[in-house]
Amino acid sequence: MNSNLNLLIGLAMGLNLLALGSSRLPTLIRAMSAQGVILGAMPVLMDHEPDWRVALVALATIAGKGLVIPGLLRRAMRTVQIDRELEPLIGFVPSMLLGAGGAIAALALTHLLPLLPEHAGSLLVPGALATMLTGFILLIGRTKAISQVCGYLILENGIYLFGLLLIKAMPLMVEAGVLLDVTVGVFIIGIIVDRIQRAFDSLDTRKLTALRE
Amino acid sequence: MSTGLALLIAAVAMLVGILAGRAAPRVWLVAMLVGVSAAFVAALAVLGGAADWDWRGGFALGGELPHLRLDGLSALFLVLLCVVGGVATVYLREYWPEQEHPRSAGSGRMWWGVMLLCLGLLLLVSNGLHFLIAWELFTLSAYFLITLNRQRREVRAAGWLYLAASHASVLALFAFFTLLAVATGSWDLGPLRDRTELAPLFWLSLFGFGLKAGLFPLHLWLPSAHANAPSHVSAMLSGVTLKMGIYGLLRFSGWLPVPVGAGWVVAVLGVVSAVLGVAFALGQHDLKRLLAYHSVENIGIILIGVGFALVAVEQGDAAWGRLALAGGLLHVWNHGLFKALLFLGAGSVLHATGTREMSRLGGLWRTMPWTAGLFALGAVAISGLPPLNGFVSEWLVFLGLFDATLSRGPSAWAAIPAVILLGVTGALALACFVKVCGVVFLGAARSQAAAHAHECGPAMRGAMLVLAAACVAIGLAPIVFWPAIARATRAWHPGWSGLDPPAPLAALGLAHLALAAVATIAAWGLWRRVRIRGFKRALTWDCGYAAPTARMQYTAGSFAGVITEWFAFILRPERHEHRPDELFPVSASRTEHTPETVLERVVEPVGRIVMRVSRTVRRLQHGRVQSYVFYILVVLAALIAWVFMGGAR
Repeated sequence: MNSNLNLLIGLAMGLNLLALGSSRLPTLIRAMSAQGVILGAMPVLMDHEPDWRVALVALATIAGKGLVIPGLLRRAMRTVQIDRELEPLIGFVPSMLLGAGGAIAALALTHLLPLLPEHAGSLLVPGALATMLTGFILLIGRTKAISQVCGYLILENGIYLFGLLLIKAMPLMVEAGVLLDVTVGVFIIGIIVDRIQRAFDSLDTRKLTALRE
Repeated sequence: MSTGLALLIAAVAMLVGILAGRAAPRVWLVAMLVGVSAAFVAALAVLGGAADWDWRGGFALGGELPHLRLDGLSALFLVLLCVVGGVATVYLREYWPEQEHPRSAGSGRMWWGVMLLCLGLLLLVSNGLHFLIAWELFTLSAYFLITLNRQRREVRAAGWLYLAASHASVLALFAFFTLLAVATGSWDLGPLRDRTELAPLFWLSLFGFGLKAGLFPLHLWLPSAHANAPSHVSAMLSGVTLKMGIYGLLRFSGWLPVPVGAGWVVAVLGVVSAVLGVAFALGQHDLKRLLAYHSVENIGIILIGVGFALVAVEQGDAAWGRLALAGGLLHVWNHGLFKALLFLGAGSVLHATGTREMSRLGGLWRTMPWTAGLFALGAVAISGLPPLNGFVSEWLVFLGLFDATLSRGPSAWAAIPAVILLGVTGALALACFVKVCGVVFLGAARSQAAAHAHECGPAMRGAMLVLAAACVAIGLAPIVFWPAIARATRAWHPGWSGLDPPAPLAALGLAHLALAAVATIAAWGLWRRVRIRGFKRALTWDCGYAAPTARMQYTAGSFAGVITEWFAFILRPERHEHRPDELFPVSASRTEHTPETVLERVVEPVGRIVMRVSRTVRRLQHGRVQSYVFYILVVLAALIAWVFMGGAR
């Protein structure tokens, strides 16, 4: 089971690099949503005896991250007619290198952490750290609002992975709450995207600096 | 008439005056004078032996019940406030009239009333919260008075500096009163001499009140504010509001315990202020700025008295402490009187010539004999020469210090340098006022404005006459004023009751009377001789110049040049000179300027560093979301690193 899980997490980490390295927004959204689906399936694989609640959450996660949110983002993308991140603050190759370096650092860091013995062999912790770092890099390095939304969602994926460590201790309601937070965040950003587009005729968040004071 | 009734009349009259200030100058004048006189009567009654007045209101004001009290100490300051305030009110009618200052005369009258009322309240309130309110209100009204002539840039700068310094002071006082209220559980103020854990609060009050009083390193707001304010306001600022700092210091060092060594600190600050105040005064070329530095000097003399009194209390040695404190308290009055007189005199010079620059004045005694005579009298008083009041109070401080040298312990060793430095201060003050009187009133006029000066009118002259008369009265009959000082001393330290006037005080009064009589007779004799024999006009020796001009006279800088050279290490005068270098020199020049050393060499560089750092830090706040996320990441990484380093344990 552990090897299955590690395979999935490895896949998710690969998707991280894809998200960092692509300049096309549809690829980014696709990588993000694929990661969401993979992560959504994980609780079912982890749990030994089938539980309908776990299955429900897994279903909700897959539906939300895999279908609803990407759908919303694609629609936003179509309305504003942007499908490329043209001028990133951190270039695509450097961000990929950063992400790869971050993944290696996360693996190294995991050895230093005082983990439970059953988690020691799994990729859960380094995967979570690397995914969160990917989210941060996207947030820092991209200027288009849609890429930033993807950054937030990948960040959330990382938090979700961490949450899987505690799936027995942490009530699923909390996880549902995190998901809800992010959904609300996406909606708000969707509205802001619309507003930025109307006010500035562009989706460049750098133009928001005029509002700082 | 009971004390309470008199104070009520004073308050009502002041309120009427404030309301009438803008529109009805006559009503304002009458109301202000009635108010000041009523408060004067109440304060005199308390100083003369009536019981302390204590009143608690039954209604809450800002959440606190009002509590007013008039005891010996506050009555002493209230008398000064009433005398200087009343006299300056009369002066201001002529000095700042509607015709010459149509824009600011009305608001000047209103704020004047607000300031007098708030100063009076400040002396009466016995509640920390109300004290702060009165303090803040009087600070603000003084700000509006300083900037009455705000069309000029330097006036605005001076007002801003005053406001900033006052805020620093208020900040310390807020901390002081809040901590006091937290420790005692109530904002009500009163004697708490046995609560020794409150002693460290003294340092806060020393900073807050010391800044207001103009102690040496904290005096930086004082010269520009005094110089740029209208002269009646300068007189009030220097004569009375500086004393509010002294009042606060005395009030709370009397009511609360003081930490060990506080007396030494105050005495050292006093000596430093006295010597450096007069040294800076010597370097000034602006008449009012010079007088402002003399305020620093005189505050120093008062603080020497207060400091040695605190030392005496700490050592349980009452006799010389009492004398030092009595000298300090009497100097509060004296400085208030003669400094107000000098500022009003400077005001009439400014009024007549339009300049405060001493290098543009000269020869004014011919056109302004009254102003010149009264200013000279004030100069004699401030220099501490007999037979005027300055000598009496400085002599009391000297007596206290002399007695301290006879006692055992460190106070004896400390008193000796204090005595010497106090003597040096007096001598330097004399030199400084010889310079002022010589440059401004004697010699020939250095500019057209000075040549066409005119004597001031009856209101201004009368105001100065009252102050001069008060200076003479204290000088000639000091024994009459002793009970008031004794009463205030007792209010400060109840253990020092039953104060008899020191034996030499009566003798001093007699000596002063005799001296004054001799001087009067001599002057009369001289005057008669001149009248009978007439006098011959002749040229003084003019170094062989065929046509000496007024520009060849000694300047203010050259008068004081030798002495400012001694203090160059702290004054740091800026000199630019172009010496004559050939046999027939074409041009030569020399200018000298004494900067505000503490402000320009200490405070401003520190302020610039703070500004630079702030500007650098401000660059972090630029509105780019991406960088804000980056900051979060950096902090997270730092926290992780910190945990691994073992810092969380």
